Amino acid sequence: MMVLLANLPNWIWLVPALPLVAVVINAARVLLGTATGDAAEPLTARLSSLTAFGGLVLLLAIDALALLDAPPGHLRLAHWFGNGNWEATFSFMLDPLSLTLGTLTALIGWLVIRFSTNYLHREAGFHRYFIALSFFLAGIQLVLLAGNGLLAFVGWEMCGASSFLLIGYAWHRPVATGNALFAFITNRGGDAGFLLALGLAATWLGGFEWTLLSKASQISAVNDRLLVVGFVIAALAKSAQLPFSAWITKALEGPTPSSAIFYGAVMVHAGVYLMLRLEPLLVQVPDVMFGLVVAGTLTAIYAWLCGLVQTDVKSALIFATLFQVSLMFVAIGLGWTTLALVHLCLHAGWRVWQFLVAPSWLVITRERPPPPPAWLRHNQLLYTAALQRFWLDKLADTLFVQPTTSFSRDAHAFEEHFIDHAIGQPGQGKPVHADRPLVVADGLPGRLLASASDVLQRIEYRLLLRGKGGTAEKLMHRAGAYLRTLENLLEQPRYLMMAVMATFVVIL
Amino acid sequence: MNAEHDLPIRERLAHWVEHLTHVLPAQAPIRDFVHHNTLHGFQHLPFAEALSAASALTGVTAWWPEATFRACLASGRISADDLNAALDDAGVADLDEPVLRALSRRDVLLASLLAGREAPDAGHLDWLQRETALADDLIFGHFSRLTVAVPAEAPAPAWQPLVESRWAELCGRVGLSWTWRSLLEHLSGEDVLERVRSILQRHLAAHLDLGVAAWRNPAQGQGFFAAWRASAGFDLAWEMDELPNVRDEILHLPDSPIDVLLEELPRLIADESRWPGYLQRLSLELPGWSGMVLWRERHPGRGDGTPVAMLDYLAVRVLLERLLSDDLLRRLTGGPLQLAELPEHYAARPEEFLVRDALHQAWLPEELQGRAASLVDQARHEHVDAEDWRHLAAAIAPAMLGAQADSVAWQQAALSRQLGLTLADLETLSREEVGRLEKCAASLNPEQRSQIWLLAYERHYREQLFAALTANHARRTAPAAPSAQVVMCMDDREEGTRRHLEEVAPDIVTYGAVGFFGVPIYWQGLDDAGRTALCPVVIRPTRLVREVGVAGAESDQGKRAARRERRLQWRERFYQATRRRAVAGPLLTALGSLPALAALTAATLAPGWFGETARRWREQYDGRLPTRLALTAEQKIEATPEQPQLGLTDAEQIKCVEDFLRMIGLTANFAPFVLFFGHGSGSQNNPHLSAYDCGACSGKHGGPNARVFAAMANRREVRAGLAERGLPIPDTCWFIGAEHNTCDDGVEWYDLDTVPERFQTALDTLLAQVGEACRAHAAERCRRLASAPVRPTPWKARRHMLGRASDISQARPELGHANNAAAFIGRREMSRGLFLDRRVFLISYDPTSDDDGKIVEDILLAAGPVGAGIALEYYFSTVDNERFGCGSKITHNITGLFGVMEGADSDLRTGLPWQMVEIHEPMRLLVVVEQTTERLTAILNRQPPLQELINNEWIILAAKSPSTVAIELYCPRRGWLPWSGKAVLPQVGRSADWFAGESEALAPAIILGGTRANMPLPLQGGGREGDGFGHGTPQTHPLPNPPLEGEGAELPTMASCKESK
Repeated sequence: MMVLLANLPNWIWLVPALPLVAVVINAARVLLGTATGDAAEPLTARLSSLTAFGGLVLLLAIDALALLDAPPGHLRLAHWFGNGNWEATFSFMLDPLSLTLGTLTALIGWLVIRFSTNYLHREAGFHRYFIALSFFLAGIQLVLLAGNGLLAFVGWEMCGASSFLLIGYAWHRPVATGNALFAFITNRGGDAGFLLALGLAATWLGGFEWTLLSKASQISAVNDRLLVVGFVIAALAKSAQLPFSAWITKALEGPTPSSAIFYGAVMVHAGVYLMLRLEPLLVQVPDVMFGLVVAGTLTAIYAWLCGLVQTDVKSALIFATLFQVSLMFVAIGLGWTTLALVHLCLHAGWRVWQFLVAPSWLVITRERPPPPPAWLRHNQLLYTAALQRFWLDKLADTLFVQPTTSFSRDAHAFEEHFIDHAIGQPGQGKPVHADRPLVVADGLPGRLLASASDVLQRIEYRLLLRGKGGTAEKLMHRAGAYLRTLENLLEQPRYLMMAVMATFVVIL
Repeated sequence: MNAEHDLPIRERLAHWVEHLTHVLPAQAPIRDFVHHNTLHGFQHLPFAEALSAASALTGVTAWWPEATFRACLASGRISADDLNAALDDAGVADLDEPVLRALSRRDVLLASLLAGREAPDAGHLDWLQRETALADDLIFGHFSRLTVAVPAEAPAPAWQPLVESRWAELCGRVGLSWTWRSLLEHLSGEDVLERVRSILQRHLAAHLDLGVAAWRNPAQGQGFFAAWRASAGFDLAWEMDELPNVRDEILHLPDSPIDVLLEELPRLIADESRWPGYLQRLSLELPGWSGMVLWRERHPGRGDGTPVAMLDYLAVRVLLERLLSDDLLRRLTGGPLQLAELPEHYAARPEEFLVRDALHQAWLPEELQGRAASLVDQARHEHVDAEDWRHLAAAIAPAMLGAQADSVAWQQAALSRQLGLTLADLETLSREEVGRLEKCAASLNPEQRSQIWLLAYERHYREQLFAALTANHARRTAPAAPSAQVVMCMDDREEGTRRHLEEVAPDIVTYGAVGFFGVPIYWQGLDDAGRTALCPVVIRPTRLVREVGVAGAESDQGKRAARRERRLQWRERFYQATRRRAVAGPLLTALGSLPALAALTAATLAPGWFGETARRWREQYDGRLPTRLALTAEQKIEATPEQPQLGLTDAEQIKCVEDFLRMIGLTANFAPFVLFFGHGSGSQNNPHLSAYDCGACSGKHGGPNARVFAAMANRREVRAGLAERGLPIPDTCWFIGAEHNTCDDGVEWYDLDTVPERFQTALDTLLAQVGEACRAHAAERCRRLASAPVRPTPWKARRHMLGRASDISQARPELGHANNAAAFIGRREMSRGLFLDRRVFLISYDPTSDDDGKIVEDILLAAGPVGAGIALEYYFSTVDNERFGCGSKITHNITGLFGVMEGADSDLRTGLPWQMVEIHEPMRLLVVVEQTTERLTAILNRQPPLQELINNEWIILAAKSPSTVAIELYCPRRGWLPWSGKAVLPQVGRSADWFAGESEALAPAIILGGTRANMPLPLQGGGREGDGFGHGTPQTHPLPNPPLEGEGAELPTMASCKESK
């Protein structure tokens, strides 16, 4: 029993894996068409909720062990892939930071899934929603519990994908899909930073383990800085700090509970977690820390001003969230990481509640909040800027989204004009020969195939089918005559003996 | 219009804005949600015409799709008889005229309704022929040959004239059913409205905001136009959108919005007679926002003092439309072009127009669709050669010309199959005969077809109701000495409560009335900061009743108020400061976090327990305080709605009580208790909360009215006054007020401590009976809720409802008025003992004491619009939830405390959420009045409001004779039509026997238990699922009047009834 208990941390991989099981089963049910109607809802919801609860229980047990004994720390469970210079592993980090956040996330995730069961009842996208939510839970737990950057990056991407799916939940509304795309594309900027940092870590440090990264002081200060900057960009994008802030205000198109867990409580804090995780690395580059303070402060001002003019509850709450998250960045930049961690946990707990009861706003509040100080109140320019959110969404649209979409349009045009012509399309074939209208082909492979078949047909036609006098027949006749002569010779005993002796000579 | 033409433009503009009140949603800020006819502005037209007009104007679908009705036919919800009768009801002419051999017009039309006129488009048909057995279908083949052969003989006509006339037709729509934006979207696929909405929405919401934003536009006091202009002048977005000239234009705008309109409208459309139409179209493109602006303009007292004017909004809207359309036009045509030049531009380029237009057409084959889409897309970014357009147009033209043939073949094949014609029959038909058949089948337009289907759908339920009323006629009886008389709201949901109460206590008599009980008051509860009008929205009360602490508890009251205020302030501080305070925000967040997490856990895992505990804690903290009403005014003063009189004088009270009791017919034989039940709904996390409350109390709780009425009727002075007026109430009778929570089925009792000692024992019994009835009612409600337990015990059901009401994750706390279908105005004996599935408004009225029909006239005038408003709002929100309703609740986002948006950038959504109407059967309200037809005709003739509702068929009127079993249905065209049908009805012991295990809408049934104690019926053998309560075989009640020809339709027997569900 004690052995089993002591081995509990080795089962930590179940925390992200369990929701994935729910994803796989529910997705399979949707694909097989068995998840339809009211009757299929409880299974989907219970499976999601059970797997989330399983993760919570496991984490609580490990927490208890950690409290009794010491936190298990860095666990390397298996080799993933690698070469002589670097290695990627399946490793998990079970230190107080990861365990605290992991447990809190598991709790919030479980509660939000329970909440969604009633809330989304009979929605057309019920199963889709739960699949995306479980996928997100798996992803975020991977981010929080992973022992190395690569595994965390996998989780990071899973969060991004599920966020995209849930913003676009009401896919028939152009605003929702447009915003989903916007959030997805701007988040890729952060991912680029993450990937850059990982690549540098592999090259310079020979691995992605968090423990290894904290030893980065062994490399030169310039390299160290480059490494950290990559991670910082990723963190700023995920936590929607300036200059990436625009995406989060556009991400409110999904169902209320998904807004609560993604942008109110959990995912928005992923960037803060990443900074906390890399604290040992950060402290070596004070200028980057100063950069964090600047970004945090600017975001705080931005979010505070914009928050004052918001007229819809969800937008008002998202700017409030952004404001407090930016304070965490400031705290980290100033080196107060414990404060940031405590703030993160408390903020997540409050904000998930506040988002979930956003539909009660008519009942909760009685009067208009007091206006800002007079110097601000009468400033028309600042008011306009705040109302237009400092035009950040337009800027991001021009700088990020439009180039990406035009790139994709170019790629599409390239495909349409060159690749499609080269490889051909079904049903677009044209006759290769005017006299043989049945043989149609399109594209390079099509034409190649057509000409290959042409050649084969010619062989068949010329050599075999032309009947008497064909080249093949002549050749075969001649070969048959040779073989017959050979057979006659072999039938004679002396030649048979010679053949046997020749065989022996060869053997000996 | 001509007379109007001479008016100065300002007056004409005001006139146009006035007209907009008819077409825009008239929904008040969502806190005061009151049901009303969604198409209130079209109420002067007959129902069918109004729906067509609304469809033509706004593009909504005002009927259920035919396919849904056909599914109802398949499931037995509509019978073939209903459809047949509906053809007569709809007034289709010459039904019995022969069309073809033995087939009459009626046969052909019925077949056409059953076959449907929807035909698959070319691509689909092609697919069906390739992939299904359609290619082998002989009948379809026959018609394909017939139809395809025709165009083949004629030379292919040129396509250019067709395209030119199509373009002219589209251009002609601008200002009538389209704006430039619609035309440009049709051409380019790019919707200017998306950008207009994003630009407008933030400014509008900021201007209309009733309490979310802390910081308002510094210029908002000068009206929306000035505020927008002040901000837009600083807006950098114009440059980012590559519209740098816009800022200049804004800076040089005239100061008056009217001048802006007068400057911009000619630029949009030269023809001045089209301006009102254009403004109307523009407003209708964002109906939610436009409607809210207009509502606020019309109700300045209900806002926060910010000036709101529709012309301000229209000026900005018109300006943006022109600026952005100009921009799109420039990009579309690649040159500076005025909107007025657009028609000419494409008239000169028919090829390009054909390609752009074809992209929206169903007949466009798939491969051409791809090419057209990519060419249009390419044109958005670069110049496309005229040759390319010409090339593609040449490919598309044949598809356009050949588009019709196959779908006609499909329709004809379906029709022939429905008529039972074999291939052999068909081959004997000449082309001319086929043409005649087709002409007859196509003679109904889609609206007429939908109308016939709706009539059939309504008739099916109406027949069931009439049969039930007829079957129940012989069972009418009232307890001789009732133990209590219970007066409830007419609300359809209370039908269930009343029925269960009568089953639990057969010696209780129930009444129904409009839920403010004839007491129009302003109410200020002990904890209320302001006063609330508790009466129908059309009345503006002039009396105020306040709830105060009992005498001697003034200091307690002060303390309680202070504690409560402190609690609410802290709550407010938590929710508001955590979102906007820079320093206090994070601190309060930290403080609130753990309790919030604990609350979330508890509310998610055990909502009922948590809700109950939180309520108890709140009460403990505030302190309990017994209260009384400040009810009586010493003397009458000149009161206005703004300066109401505090309380009612004795004379007023006497009049209120007398009028009401006479109205419901309770004038003698008073029981020991007369119980007044108001109702309201308590649910959590629900922006549409007040849509579940009492419609007769302006979407508020009706409990205070019940309490006030009971308190008045118990006063010695009032009783003395009543006795003087011939309405003596004996001392053995006590009035009690209570409020029924329709969500959790709980009851809040008022002033029980004032009930005299002598009533105590009887009171305990009554409380227990009401409690039991509410639990039984909860069990009945569970059957329609998918997440509720199946076949629960009453206790379990009530627990579930408690949990449901306090569950913050519940999007369907209750189902509201879903499935409301009829209203009975008459004595309860008419419907007592019938299972009516919570679908009928029950209004008490005694025809025997209403000789001149004055009482029923008043009831019809009050209840008619209320019932019609509820039924029609549900009807429209059901048939087109996307346009008339507000979509699904789950992405709703409260905006400015006055409405909801989807997400953070959408139109303001009005109407009912999908969660409230998903199980609703959309029908017009059937009002059955227990009164003679002569008297009803007389009332109808002298009451224009009723003529509008009834003669225009917004509600259906029927008369149930007070003395005989006869029922007559009123048809505006044909007058009173006597009903005759078989009154065969299933019988069960208790309601629970009928609904147990059922989850769909149920047909009426006779409940034997309800009247059993007083009038034992001969029980017949058999039983339903052997529950030991002998009942179940259908019983036929002989009808006094013989069925008329062509009218009778058999009611399904019980077996087929159950099967069809």
